[in-house]
Amino acid sequence: MRDDAPVATLVARARDGDKHAWDAIVDRYAPLIWSICRRYRLDRPDADDVGQSVWLRLVDQLAFIRDPAALPGWLATTTRRECGRVLSAARRQEALGDAVDAEDMPGDDPEAAEREVLAAERNAALREAFAHLPPRCQRLIGLLLEDPPVPYADISATLGIPVGSIGPSRARCLDRVRRHPAIAALISNEIPAGGDPNDQPAVGR
Amino acid sequence: MTSQQWADDRLMAALGEAVRAARAVPPEFTEAGKAAYTWHNVDAELAALTFDSAAQAAAPALRAEEASPRFLTFAGAELTIELEIGPDSIVGQIVPSQPGHVDTCPASGAAATAELDEIGCFIIRPLPPSPFRLHCHTAAGVSVLTTWITL
Repeated sequence: MRDDAPVATLVARARDGDKHAWDAIVDRYAPLIWSICRRYRLDRPDADDVGQSVWLRLVDQLAFIRDPAALPGWLATTTRRECGRVLSAARRQEALGDAVDAEDMPGDDPEAAEREVLAAERNAALREAFAHLPPRCQRLIGLLLEDPPVPYADISATLGIPVGSIGPSRARCLDRVRRHPAIAALISNEIPAGGDPNDQPAVGR
Repeated sequence: MTSQQWADDRLMAALGEAVRAARAVPPEFTEAGKAAYTWHNVDAELAALTFDSAAQAAAPALRAEEASPRFLTFAGAELTIELEIGPDSIVGQIVPSQPGHVDTCPASGAAATAELDEIGCFIIRPLPPSPFRLHCHTAAGVSVLTTWITL
């Protein structure tokens, strides 16, 4: 991703002793680490073990990170390695059970791993854009995202807006999401589906 | 011009996924990550793991190997820490041997201290909670911290 300023800034600030920056990094990427643990089907104590190990390692590495943009990839790789460690330890305890090759473990597909990191980056950008929406947009989008869906009549009553303006309001709020710098950067870097990577249109204007 | 990828319905779905991915994370999982920052800026040189017998046996062993101890080596600029992890204790040695002490620091819980004997050896018993790291202080003022050790 070209626009890596926010992560780079957070890493630099955390390295200089800013606990808030560290917390922001953890908030941003804990879902990535958690989702990898889930994919490896770790139980809760093992997932906690992996999460703690990954963050402890990152604290040690803070002073040595040369390319902060590579942080999500590093976190994903470290998490997969830790998941593998926990699983092999569990297998060793089972001792004479079936020996399973490390290759059988999930996450060894480099393309899947790459997609996982990209999805985490995208989700982090979307959450950041969402968090910067005005409160009325956050409430509207939040209600529209409810599962099971909230009827428009209820949304209208809750927010005090006519049913007929829910659609247009939604469109305006989503426009704000698209204009957020983190999302604008994603959009401008994205290759349209089926498009030629060398023929990338200038989107987002 | 708006990319098809980011049309309203797709964007709503993506927002939903992003929000759900964050909600799925237990708060304590995130809090433990934040707490790890207490280890930032500990004033010590880091000693990197240069040998781990458990990593050598990465392929599943034919026999349960719990009887054999695990050997670890951590190398710093001024000294090396050798560890032999047995079933209920850790025997370690600082090379070159010198007076001082070694703190055993678990990620959560209180640290314990072991003195170095005349040949730089120390014993940690019982095994500390995992993960932990060792912080070696020599009488000459050298302070060396191992990376995290997981049992």
